[in-house]
Amino acid sequence: MDRKPKLQRKTSISYKTEEKTVMRGYNLSDLAEAGYSFSDALFVLFQNRIPTENEEKMLKYEMGVFLEHSMSPSAVGAIGVSAGRPNLPVTVAASVSTFGGVHGPGAAHGYMLNKYLERAQKEGKTVDEMAKTLVDEYLDSKRPVMGMGQPQHIDSDPRAEPIHLKQEELELKGVYLEFQRAVEKYFHQRRKKEGRSYVGVNVVGSGNTALMEIGFSPNAGWCIGSVTRGFSCAAHALFNMKKGRAWGASRNEPMVQMIDLSMIKYVGPEDRIVPKQEERQEYAKKQKAEGEYKKWVI
Amino acid sequence: MGYLDKDKTEKLNQLKKERGIGNLGDPKNPFDYYAREYGTVPQDTARAPFQWVSEVAYKNIHRIVSRGYDTTELMEEGYGIVDVLFVDFQSRIPTVEEEQMLNYVMILALEDGLSMPAAISRIVAQSKTFLTQACGASIMAFGHAYGAFSAFGNRLETYLKIADEQQLSLTQAAELLVNRHGADESLGVSELMLKDPAAKRMLARAEKLGIAGRNIAFLKEIATAANQVSDQPLDVDMLGAIGATMMDLGFTPEATWVVIAVTRAYAAGAHYIEELEQGQFTRWGQELTPVENYEGPPDRPVPPLEDRHQHAKAAVCKTPQEWKQRFESMKSVSGSGFSVIEEIEDPSKKSGIKTVGKL
Repeated sequence: MDRKPKLQRKTSISYKTEEKTVMRGYNLSDLAEAGYSFSDALFVLFQNRIPTENEEKMLKYEMGVFLEHSMSPSAVGAIGVSAGRPNLPVTVAASVSTFGGVHGPGAAHGYMLNKYLERAQKEGKTVDEMAKTLVDEYLDSKRPVMGMGQPQHIDSDPRAEPIHLKQEELELKGVYLEFQRAVEKYFHQRRKKEGRSYVGVNVVGSGNTALMEIGFSPNAGWCIGSVTRGFSCAAHALFNMKKGRAWGASRNEPMVQMIDLSMIKYVGPEDRIVPKQEERQEYAKKQKAEGEYKKWVI
Repeated sequence: MGYLDKDKTEKLNQLKKERGIGNLGDPKNPFDYYAREYGTVPQDTARAPFQWVSEVAYKNIHRIVSRGYDTTELMEEGYGIVDVLFVDFQSRIPTVEEEQMLNYVMILALEDGLSMPAAISRIVAQSKTFLTQACGASIMAFGHAYGAFSAFGNRLETYLKIADEQQLSLTQAAELLVNRHGADESLGVSELMLKDPAAKRMLARAEKLGIAGRNIAFLKEIATAANQVSDQPLDVDMLGAIGATMMDLGFTPEATWVVIAVTRAYAAGAHYIEELEQGQFTRWGQELTPVENYEGPPDRPVPPLEDRHQHAKAAVCKTPQEWKQRFESMKSVSGSGFSVIEEIEDPSKKSGIKTVGKL
């Protein structure tokens, strides 16, 4: 059996011999045998260190509260992909891939915090002062403040504030939580002053704050969040594959299905004649010259 | 279904309140946790029922219509897949020359040896799975370095707009673009095609068919500008040739990106099949990572769990100065992510990552 790696790479993360698998210097078997948790192992993987007990508890909490979110883009993605009945991993790949610039933008939130903390450090400003600067700059330029607002949990994300409180309870309050709390304070003040409705912190704003406080980088935090969600999305997809109808268009189901024909709303060009090949060139040139098609170009 | 009735809700909440649930009753919460409803939200009958909205296509029991054209009628009238790409993405029938040009582009884009999409497809194949999974994975290889058609095209559009607004010639706009961005992965000009004439031949074909327009002209100016500031000879590469030609055919950068990515997925399917034919599957845990490739900490004993406090140091920082110190020190931990910077944006309108690089 050929055991040579297909990709030749130098790596600092791990090595594997016939005898053992070693991650950041720790034999994985030794790590598990000693009683450390999967959460502990994630600290070793991304940060090259053993966490404190409270840091490990914080990560376990954050992952647990983030794992399931019922119908969010990630679950809908998995369910939609499952309608064609591919292998289950494909639905999970799709669900994890839904995490982008809008849905669960953990890395974007982290980069935002780091950028402004760096400014606080360089400009000699307090965390509180810089939080106000952040809020003003974002809202003045009509950009959404990462970590605020959730379209389903409109009065407050049920996971968000409890994560903050857990972080405080575990005595893990540092510069990130101080900054995030200050961002929320000035965000609420500004919206209230402008007569706008209350928009609470979301699970990215609180969860990612906790993840960064316990030492994870923006992308490591994003990886932890989005991959954790993959577990529940696999369950949603599997339920649909085992107990639902493929395709999602059956007329025999008591409820109108996801892609029932009546679900399609068409707003494009009206039905029209397809030109004959002998008419084609003149037709195409005329169509191009008139330019009406341009309003449909995407 | 719908919400649980009031009496049951109050009883349940009262019981929970008496028992207490962690921090959920904490007054810092911006809500009264023990006054919350149970059950699902009733259906909203005040708004229109769910519909999939599209201006691309519709179907009913008897026909499938794209941009107003019945697709069966299109095929019956002698049109083909390349024509339908124009219909789907641009809502128009292409001229004969445009159809010929897109065929040319797609043939050139179809296969590129053991490129990244092929390699990914083959690796996925080795796990013994469906062909579609390997093809899907191959499409994921297209980003803002490999197959950077969206990044390339959006940049072209940006600088052509600047040229219009500032009344710059294409030469001046090209020099501005090159000075600002250098010879990065999405320039469309590189050393990749100095000995391979494929890119130049594509541009020549576009000119011969009367397709070549402002985008190809601009690309040529970019090549000239890049050569002026480069230590080594550069020329238009396949990213630039395909990207500019597709845009002169009227495709947007995003449409170009997906059309080319899916085109290559056909070839990825062939690579998958050949991998199966070669009959080598890879098992979980089979591959080794030689210690010579490892650059991390040396082997060390795992501390006993009861001694963890002696080894563990919290990451929590109390001041921006402390935070900065830790941030800088973490850059030396390879794989931690601290030395990476990205700007991740909603890619609905324009392509996702604006910048990516090392801090």
